Amino acid sequence: MKTIKIRTIVEGTVEGVALVSPIPISFFGGVDAETGIITDSENPLFGESLTDKIFVFPESKGSTVGSYVIYGLSVNNVAPLALIANKAETIVIAGAILANIPFVDKTEHDVTITIKTGDKLVIDTTQNIIKLKKE
Amino acid sequence: MSIQYRTKQKEYGAVNMFLNKEQQKMLDGESGHAIAKLIQLIVKIGEVNGATKLIPIKNAQIAGVSYLTVGEPIFSFFNMLSEDNVKVSVPSWLNPAGMDMKKWKEMGIKNDFAEKQRRIIQQYQEMGIQTTLTCTPYLIGHKPKFGDHLAWSESSAVSIANAYYGARTNREGGPSSLASAITGFTADYGLHKKENRVPRIVVNVKATINHFSDFSALGYWYGEKFHGIIPYFTSIKNANIDQVKMLGAAMAASGSVAHFHIAKHTPEAEKVDLSSVSETVTFDESDKKQIYSHFNQTKERVNLVAIGCPHTSIEDIKLIDSSLGDKSIKEGIKFWVFSSQKLMQNDKAKKLLTNLEEKGVKIFTDTCMVVSPVVRENYKNILTNSAKAAFYLTREGTNKISLLSLSEIIERVSE
Repeated sequence: MKTIKIRTIVEGTVEGVALVSPIPISFFGGVDAETGIITDSENPLFGESLTDKIFVFPESKGSTVGSYVIYGLSVNNVAPLALIANKAETIVIAGAILANIPFVDKTEHDVTITIKTGDKLVIDTTQNIIKLKKE
Repeated sequence: MSIQYRTKQKEYGAVNMFLNKEQQKMLDGESGHAIAKLIQLIVKIGEVNGATKLIPIKNAQIAGVSYLTVGEPIFSFFNMLSEDNVKVSVPSWLNPAGMDMKKWKEMGIKNDFAEKQRRIIQQYQEMGIQTTLTCTPYLIGHKPKFGDHLAWSESSAVSIANAYYGARTNREGGPSSLASAITGFTADYGLHKKENRVPRIVVNVKATINHFSDFSALGYWYGEKFHGIIPYFTSIKNANIDQVKMLGAAMAASGSVAHFHIAKHTPEAEKVDLSSVSETVTFDESDKKQIYSHFNQTKERVNLVAIGCPHTSIEDIKLIDSSLGDKSIKEGIKFWVFSSQKLMQNDKAKKLLTNLEEKGVKIFTDTCMVVSPVVRENYKNILTNSAKAAFYLTREGTNKISLLSLSEIIERVSE
């Protein structure tokens, strides 16, 4: 089992399966707040659902109202279990706080390479680590 | 004197942020769940950006108004806020909506869109936000003062507040500016700190900069080349607010530049510390030409002229009127000018409007070509004098735009 150090943005200890976007994600216009499905046709995850997944992405892009999309995901019960980014910025920080979704960043490695879609993870914000259980 | 409290580490991992009693109470939920969330959002954004305290703001300018740019998710967020009946605590103004609130049918807006747009504006209004619906609050009497701390979110307004007025605001998002409007605070980082307001690049402007479109081309050129870096422009002869707003808007659009200095014109320019300048570049005629040729795309018949990005001032509108003289706009071409309702309310402005309408010029307020759905959908060949508008309207690849000076535009579309 591999351990990765993190910085905690929004607290929460969760265990789940990773869904990894290799490219920056625009929540506004790129994710459907009603279904949790990724609608950005340029993203390799196009058509996949991030509901109940640990969603891993390098950083976010696009309109700042993306925060409202993240909040909408949680209101509609289709939110991801947690969010992991290489670099947290305003859009996702605001969204994760409003929606109360555990969110971590600043890992030692590029998470979109270290973590693969389907990997089982434990995010532990009390210790500021991710435990990676490879399948 | 306020007592300094350390934020509760346990709750959300705050590290180096010191809050006063009032802020701590908000965070602890004494003013309700919604306010606790909103101040937490500000604290966290601050922490990630190295802030150690929150500072009070004078006012807020809030983006995220057009239904086109916020969509359905905004309503869930409004529900959360209205449960606690939150109100803004400082003067706050709204960015443009997706339609003229009166003449929306004339624009070609559909009923469903109009209904949702009205609901959004009503929700903001219920929070005590003034429904100015403009990206240029400084043109309707809300001029920031030198040194004021603000939370503005429209990118061109942010750059004008910083550069032209010497006020201090980061480039906020819709959610963070709203959080600041309600709590009255923003985090002390970025452009709120003097040391982060210094230029790193000197731009020697050798090209002739006369028309609004020239200022716009300069801004577009700079932003595209030097993303996010504060410039210091030299050799710009005239720099009135209408010219500077074209420069700042284009730079913010192409390069997220939130602050700039113009030698002899902007208030911080004279005393600003130039010791961090690491490069001097030149903007010459060939650079200017390159921007105009990049946005020289309209091959087929032009069907729309769109002026007013950022929103026009009365002076801008007078210039359209005088440039047009006795001529009228040719049949089959729409000539749309975007402005704010506040400017159109006095008798002089109304007369100007009627006069222009007779010549085929339509003035819409509360909205613009970028945030209204109809411009992109219904008009494929557009002329504009704004590089910011050209940038946004060509992003999806479905519209052809040409950037021209106002006089060239009028020459082409009037008779």
